[in-house]
Amino acid sequence: MASRYDRAITVFSPDGHLFQVEYAQEAVKKGSTAVGIRGANIVVLGVEKKSVAKLQDERTVRKICALDDHVCMAFAGLTADARVVINRARVECQSHRLTVEDPVTVEYITRFIATLKQKYTQSNGRRPFGISALIVGFDDDGIPRLYQTDPSGTYHAWKANAIGRSAKTVREFLEKNYTEDAIASDNEAIKLAIKALLEVVQSGGKNIELAVIRRNQALKMFSAKEVELHVTEIEKEKEEAEKKKSKKSV
Amino acid sequence: MAATFFGEVVKAPCRAGTEDEEEEDEGRRETPEDREVRQQLARKREVRLLRRQTKTSLEVSLLEKYPCSKFIIAIGNNAVAFLSSFVMNSGVWEEVGCAKLWNEWCRTTDTIHLSSTEAFCVFYHLKSNPSVFGSCPRKNMQITILTCRHVTDYKTSESTGSLPSPFLKALKTQNFKDPVCCPLLEQPNIVHDLPAAVLSYCQVWKIPAILYLCYTDVMKLDLITVEAFKPILSTRSLKGLVKNIPQSTELLKKLMTTNEIQSNIYT
Repeated sequence: MASRYDRAITVFSPDGHLFQVEYAQEAVKKGSTAVGIRGANIVVLGVEKKSVAKLQDERTVRKICALDDHVCMAFAGLTADARVVINRARVECQSHRLTVEDPVTVEYITRFIATLKQKYTQSNGRRPFGISALIVGFDDDGIPRLYQTDPSGTYHAWKANAIGRSAKTVREFLEKNYTEDAIASDNEAIKLAIKALLEVVQSGGKNIELAVIRRNQALKMFSAKEVELHVTEIEKEKEEAEKKKSKKSV
Repeated sequence: MAATFFGEVVKAPCRAGTEDEEEEDEGRRETPEDREVRQQLARKREVRLLRRQTKTSLEVSLLEKYPCSKFIIAIGNNAVAFLSSFVMNSGVWEEVGCAKLWNEWCRTTDTIHLSSTEAFCVFYHLKSNPSVFGSCPRKNMQITILTCRHVTDYKTSESTGSLPSPFLKALKTQNFKDPVCCPLLEQPNIVHDLPAAVLSYCQVWKIPAILYLCYTDVMKLDLITVEAFKPILSTRSLKGLVKNIPQSTELLKKLMTTNEIQSNIYT
């Protein structure tokens, strides 16, 4: 049944599925994992870096992109689709600044991206964008925000979420470990993001990229050394917790 | 052929028979050249069993010399990675032979000089316990098959997004009496290709066999998918064959890094 209703985007199947949109969600799962966490005073985006080919310039392979000074996003899925969406969003951010003389709110730019994605699910001859995005930032009111969009054009606000390969495993980890204590300080929120990624990243800290935005500050990308520092701290804490456990059982 | 409104071309079913019938009768007379080409193609497509690293063929009678109690077959890169790192890492396995074949889907055109890396299937036997290997149906033999399938092939009333992929399902023949370490494959799911052929053969010849099928959303070599096979290590089929689990995990990670395919389409 699926094969007769899944070639054209504008055709519903008899049981109400838009198969092309569902298949686009499979394309998202082919991208590496990205995780977003909303802390009390910080928003964190962590991604699994794919290893770069020997002759490839590492700077040009980016999963985390700034849309404006106070908003950034991470995506998972088709690289080229992401580039198109990011460019449109960046232009919209500047256009908004010039027209309304105010920077965009995180919700506004998320809604813009989601509406763009939805248009492509209702147009003949086009296919949906094969990306999901995690959009983070601070609004003028100082409240941190995290939104997630998917190829169908829906968007929701989240406290913490993951997209891409093994997103379900990471989300389950976050559901267990996202507590008020865990996000109490900036450092704790950053460690939670790294811990969540380490659940699924195949080769440890050197394949993790991290970006944070703090209230009234610009986007900060962590260097590999800084990520390694946090990873070593996490491993130390793990060891100490295990030692304590074995002492207790003895 | 008919084109639907949305540009999709569909072959319209016709109850009057196919349109090409008359033309077929005329062209049916086969020339000797056609026959020669057809025979050449058939020769090229033969499956050949060869002795290890050589071009001499592995006689079936030679295989019968090896009595076999356990036959484990892994199909697909994740299943093969699991077997190589967990099972073949413990104990010394000796390569006995390989099966090579060619058909029009292969990329090489030279069929005589296929290198050993292009073997379709390699046979190993455990040096310390040569009863773990074989190819002919024997008494007291048990067969274990490992393979992977994409989670979108799994038919269920739940949406695929809510499935805990990767997950393991099993399908066994009537004669398999041991306990199974994971839930059985429910209807209406079916097994395809080589695993299905092996299971059918075993069912017909009353050989106890079990297929462990891992549904995953990452078909290429992936650590989490390979680790989904771990519950099998405690079953009777693989018990005693696996010794060093932490070392196996390290070996697996190394396999991942050496086999990573560079692709810039998905980020």
